[in-house]
Order: sequence, then structure tokens, then C-alpha cells
Amino acid sequence: MPKVTFINPDESRVELDVPVGQSLMRAATAAGIDGIVGDCGGGLTCATCHVLVQEEFLPDTPPVTPNEDQMLDFTAMGRHPTSRLSCQLVMTEALDGLVVRIADPQL
Amino acid sequence: MRQVAIRTGVVEAPFLDIDPYALDVLNDPYPFHEALREKGPVARIAPHGVYAVGRHDESAIVLGDHNRFTAAGGIGIQDIRKPGEFRIPNRLLENDPPSHTAIRGTLTKILSPIVIRRWREHFEKEAVALARQLVERGTFDGVADVAETYVLKVFPEAVGIELPRDNVLAISEMRFNQSGPQNELYHRAMAKAQPYLDWFENSTRRDSVRRGSLAEMLFEAEDRGEFDEGIASNMVRTFVGGGTDSTITGIGHALHLLARNPEQWALLKADPARVKTAFEEAIRLETPFQVTYRTTRDREVELSGVRLDPDTKIGVFLGAANRDPRKWSDPSRFDVTRDTTGVHLGFGVGAHNCIGQMIARLEAEAILKAIVTVADTLELDGEPRLRPINQMRQLDYLPLRIGKA
Repeated sequence: MPKVTFINPDESRVELDVPVGQSLMRAATAAGIDGIVGDCGGGLTCATCHVLVQEEFLPDTPPVTPNEDQMLDFTAMGRHPTSRLSCQLVMTEALDGLVVRIADPQL
Repeated sequence: MRQVAIRTGVVEAPFLDIDPYALDVLNDPYPFHEALREKGPVARIAPHGVYAVGRHDESAIVLGDHNRFTAAGGIGIQDIRKPGEFRIPNRLLENDPPSHTAIRGTLTKILSPIVIRRWREHFEKEAVALARQLVERGTFDGVADVAETYVLKVFPEAVGIELPRDNVLAISEMRFNQSGPQNELYHRAMAKAQPYLDWFENSTRRDSVRRGSLAEMLFEAEDRGEFDEGIASNMVRTFVGGGTDSTITGIGHALHLLARNPEQWALLKADPARVKTAFEEAIRLETPFQVTYRTTRDREVELSGVRLDPDTKIGVFLGAANRDPRKWSDPSRFDVTRDTTGVHLGFGVGAHNCIGQMIARLEAEAILKAIVTVADTLELDGEPRLRPINQMRQLDYLPLRIGKA
């Protein structure tokens, strides 16, 4: 199963097995990673599952839709060039080894 | 018309001879829901000639795929584009991408998560004040004295519109019956709303909204050309229709389910942060908006091996999908530890998912948390009553008793 590493705001790292087809937000909240809030459950209405994607993985991530693009502007930490909402990052084999930094704050 | 090859092996939708809008079905929709789900992935409702889906997967497909299913025919059982059924569409709900995307984008900016988060402190303060009064009283109506009182206090203030209780409840009842067939409920609600129609018309005009409010920002967006003329007023109507009854109903169901399930109330007492999942679970189990419609495009379409006629309404029975045993284990059980957020269809899914869902959650969490914090017990103090409405499952009266140990 593909693996994803989440870097917490305190720099600690958590590695998770994420099944293909599952979003990083679901994987993180199910694993109790507190930094990913995911208040709306993936509906693109809350902007609380914000992550920064390690640059070399960016080309393998799905394109940003207009809705995600807009919600990224409303993240609490503010938007960075590598910002994504982790509810929109659905796991694929190509993303095996992905590293994301959890944005802080989310709320 | 575009020709589309239909796979061999596709079948016609089976007929289901139950009227979802009959009073006994509205009062207890669950046998109908089961019949609908078990009939197949899609059925045809004989008394109305419309298609219907009640399984979770197909419901999500119909709501999510605007290439097969358009929202432009209206979210009710009528096709609002047809003579005799015509009405002005809601430009947010009854519209497809890409035209929808632009309007939704502007509205999202005005109702952004950043804006809504700023309301939290005030909403929580109002909730605690109300919860303290309730404890003083001991017994009260969970609908009128809690859900309606709280939502109609904080929501209109936050968006900058005035919503007197009798007016807004009559208008809501009209709108959510209007989206069903022209049965007795429909006619009764229309008659009841007559005295308030002028108010409703005027309340959505620019000079009726508070200066400097979110509602006024809609009109300013229209001034800047971000909306076509008339959209701002159309969107203020959405605040009235989408922001009041739905949340009131959800809070009512949550209180009812907690009062009926003391072991679940105890779980909330032990950890009040669980009000979040408790509210989601309540609207999964007793879904406020029971049904919403799409219309098949003007060509034959296929859904899960079933051939569908062009240009035909299809009802998505959200309440049925939210109890589909294919999706949920022990679906009729109220379990506040079950995390259904973003999976249940109470807020819809896809491009038209509820734009105010974070406001609804904020209100529900604030009032539920305040009650759980100040009260030790929550019990029924009599038999609750439903308010039958074509599109909604709503409580009319919820006698409750709360106590301090």
C-alpha cells in the first residue's frame, strides 16, 4: 500500500499507509492526526485540511479545481505556492512516498 | 439531439406504486425508502411518473454528474422550465456549471470560512445565554424555544437581514411544500403564506438589508458586475430559504435523538466535543431535506444499467440514501461516535453541496454544546409531533425537560 508522510507543525513525522482511492484528509483524520481538521468532510467548504506538498511530488498530484483554488485563499495559515487541500489529494500508486507538511493554524 | 449508444443489457426502471408525498408516508417514510432501495438502483414512482433513487451510490452519482443530470429543471418535482410549472429558477441551486460556478464563487467569497469563523465567539455566547435560560425553565419546546429561537436570533444578525419568526416560517413552509406535487399540503401552505408574500418580496430588496452586512455585499458584487442584475436579490432569498428551516430542523432532530437515547447523551456529557459528530449523525438519520430533484438531459441516459427517458425528473431521496444498508452498518441506530461527515448526503454532494453547511454546523455545535455543558439530563416531556412538509422531515413540537443534578 502506498505510504504518505505527514510532517506535524512540531516537526514530528507520521507515516501512514493510505489505500489507493482514499483522500489524505480521510487517512489523516482516521489516524487521529490532529493537525488535519477536515471540518466539512471533503465538501470544499471549510479549508481546514490544508497541507504543503513537497515540491518533487507536485507534478503527480491531481490538478487544482476552481473550487479548491478558491478555498485555498481562505485557509487560516494563508496560501503558499505548494498549498493543497488534502481532501482533494486522492491516493494513487504514483504518489507512493509522498511527503506533506501540515499547515498551522487550520482554524 | 445527440445520439448516444446504449449498452446492451440495460433495463427499464421498475415501477414503484407508492406516493412519497402521501401523509402516512411523510409521517413514516422509512418503509417507502426501503421499498425504493430494494426495487433497484433506480425506480419509477408510478403516481407521479418521475424516476427516483434511494441508494447511496446512485444518489451521489445523480447529484454529482451534471452531464447526465441537470439542475436547471428545478430542485422540486415540477420541471420549472415547462409551461404551467414555470417559476423563476434559483440561480444558485437551479443552474449548472459553468454559469453556476461563477455565481457560487462570488457567494463563497462573501460566506468564506474566514468570515464564518469570526462568528464563532458570538454564536457560542448567545448559545450559552439561551441554554442557561432553558435550565431555569426546566421544561420547554425544543423546536420553538431552542432551534427556532436560536437560529432566528444569530443567523439573520450575522447576514444582515430581518427575519420575523411567523413570516419566515410561513414562507419556508410554502417553499418546501411547493417543491412537491400540488397536494393538500401544497395548497394549505400556499394559503397560509399569502399574508407574508409582500413581506418576502420586499425583504430581499436592497433597501431592506442592513448597511455594511453580508447581504449588502451581494448587492455590491452586483454593482461591480460580478453578478448579473437580479442575482443579489435572488441570493438573499437563498439565505431565507436555505439558512433557516434546514438548520432549525437539524437541531430539532439532534435534540430529539439525544433525548431518546440517554446512553448517547452520556457520551456527549463525557466529551462535549462529540456534538460535532452527533449533529452529523442526527442529520444522517433524520435528514432535514428528504428529497431533491435533477432532470435527465435531453437524450437517453443510463444509470447503473437502467435506461432513463430524456428530460424526465429524477428524485434523489437523501433520507433513504442516508439509511442505505449498502453504505451504513446498523443504519437505523443513532450513534454519536460514528463519523459520517462528508459521507452522508444531508448536505448534498458535488457542485451544489450546501454552501452554508459550515454555518449550520457552527450554529448546531454551539447550541448543542451549550446545552450539554449546562444540563445534566435531557429527556422527553411528552410526545413530539411532526410537521408534514412535502420536501422536508421536520419536527413541529418537541417537549423536553432538562435537569441539573
